[in-house]
Amino acid sequence: MTSPLVSIRGLEKRFDLSGGLLEQITFEKGRFRRRQEAVHAINGVDLDVQRGEALCVVGESGCGKSTVARTVMGLISPSAGEIHYDGQRIDNLEGKAALPYRRRMQMIFQNPYASLNPRMTIQQTLEEPIRFHFPTWSAAEVRDKVHEVMQSVGIDPDWGSRFGHEFSGGQRQRIAIARALAVDPEFIVADEPISALDVSIQAQVLNLLMDAQESRSLTYLFITHDLAVVEHFGTRVAVMYLGRVCELADTRTLFATPRHPYTQALLSAIPKLEDDRPNHIRLQGEVPTPVNLPSGCVFHGRCPYANERCRREVPKLIATDGGTRVACHAVEEGRL
Amino acid sequence: MALLEVKDLDVRFAVRGGDLKALRRISFSLDKGERLGLVGESGAGKSVAAFSILNLIAKPGYIAGGQILFEGRDLAAMSERELRRIRGNRIAMIFQDPMMTLNPVLTIGTQMVEAIQAHRKISRRQAREIALDRLRKVQIPSPEKRLDQYPHELSGGMRQRVIIAIALLLDPDIIIADEPTTALDVTIQAEIMALLLELCERENVALMLITHDLGVVSQVTQRMLVMYSGRIIEQGPTREIINDAQHPYTQGLINALPQMGEPGGAIVPDPRLHAVAEERALGVPLPPPLPLRQRAVPAVDAGLCPFRQRGRGLLRSEQPD
Repeated sequence: MTSPLVSIRGLEKRFDLSGGLLEQITFEKGRFRRRQEAVHAINGVDLDVQRGEALCVVGESGCGKSTVARTVMGLISPSAGEIHYDGQRIDNLEGKAALPYRRRMQMIFQNPYASLNPRMTIQQTLEEPIRFHFPTWSAAEVRDKVHEVMQSVGIDPDWGSRFGHEFSGGQRQRIAIARALAVDPEFIVADEPISALDVSIQAQVLNLLMDAQESRSLTYLFITHDLAVVEHFGTRVAVMYLGRVCELADTRTLFATPRHPYTQALLSAIPKLEDDRPNHIRLQGEVPTPVNLPSGCVFHGRCPYANERCRREVPKLIATDGGTRVACHAVEEGRL
Repeated sequence: MALLEVKDLDVRFAVRGGDLKALRRISFSLDKGERLGLVGESGAGKSVAAFSILNLIAKPGYIAGGQILFEGRDLAAMSERELRRIRGNRIAMIFQDPMMTLNPVLTIGTQMVEAIQAHRKISRRQAREIALDRLRKVQIPSPEKRLDQYPHELSGGMRQRVIIAIALLLDPDIIIADEPTTALDVTIQAEIMALLLELCERENVALMLITHDLGVVSQVTQRMLVMYSGRIIEQGPTREIINDAQHPYTQGLINALPQMGEPGGAIVPDPRLHAVAEERALGVPLPPPLPLRQRAVPAVDAGLCPFRQRGRGLLRSEQPD
């Protein structure tokens, strides 16, 4: 087996909530106490992204999926853990050393209304990354490259002098994809790239991403909350809950035989066209706050199969016979 | 007679360079206890249709023509004062974002009591009892405590439950829900939709559900309207439309949905999604007579487009049974 393109090891990210030193200090029962609080966005995530695959990370708001994406891209630095790209550790690189990786890894954001600079024309938007990463190219070469990427995403190159606001949501997202493709990356992190778009447009953008993957042999880390989309798009799926991966499997296996109780509930909650009534698995309560993480399995408070061990001990991702990796004591013990 | 009957409703927005026609003479009706779904993409006019029923269209929008008959009385012709007696009382609304609906500086209890006292002459204590009862109906844990909490102390799903409780306060005949679960996660969405459906059935409340999610429409509604650029292009029983859509746009919309494979993995979905051809850029004027022609070129070429065959939308309601 070849080595993975991106490998995430023991990744943790906490966002400090407690503010400055003075805000942390309280006076209680005659003594000064210092109190620190943090949002535990990611709590020990290990993931490998293989070359040429599309690894989807799914989960509900606050599960840490976007934080994983941003940490991998180096937009935020991890609190603990390592990120390796093509065998090289990249989370501690700075300045010039990180530059080659910035070209090889590109990101597509959720909201194309916010990710395109409103004061730049499309031509300028697309030229900027090329000029930055290939400073030796001539103006004609840059123009040709812009022409090519615009064509490849189905935007008429003659529209280069227009501004972002003159395009519809789907077109803008295609321009954002063109910008990512302009520097010939190998690895693309797409953070909810279709969530802001209408259904009919979502299909176009997804197909475009799939075509680009084929023609440019790209590797994707695809972040989404929409499981239905994943079934079309992903090679493998990682389901996240409260900053941990609870199930990791091939797309087909995951949809055919979801093992983790949370994955089962998530799949059942998607409204399907053939349903006459909602028929989801009812979960108790709501997602707990990531400020005070539950002990043991983070899902135990809502899980119908939770027992004493689940409340005490954090489950590890364990491979099952079906090839799925599941972090659940009930699955491990054969109770589920 | 239908509980609500909208006839030739024409809503326009006065913008520079003329009127933007948001609704082009649409007609539909809603029976007592019936659940109706309005679907369409952004800009199709589904929210405008819902908002105009209670005359909640802000300037520069205005109702340019048509009637909105509620129990035979025309809401479009009513004075603001008369309309206020119906709004929130007989016809309640649920909006997409609960944080925008709830007043952040008042407790849940204060807001609920205020809504009741605006329509009924009863004491604070009685109003509080009603509020408590409705919070129980929407299955909020420890409802007494919630009455004294502020909106920011509740989670998104809980807030939307409060909104539903407020909608139910005065036993309305119709609830208009505009994308009530769009801002929520799937598991919470499933809970809220199930709750809304259950309450509407039990209390015999008519529901007008505006959504872009065909799956939700399929689960909750009995009849549906498909809207496109201010027109209703297809309407009929939900199940029939989903199983056998007639209009090429509706077909495109259904085909564009990611197909979920069967549990057990027997059917593997086609990896490529079916896109609806060409999208309409915002601000680009609509092609006047046949707004769908550009996006339904194959159908037009094959002579399949009902617009071409019959000169206007093929509506199920027009077909003989």
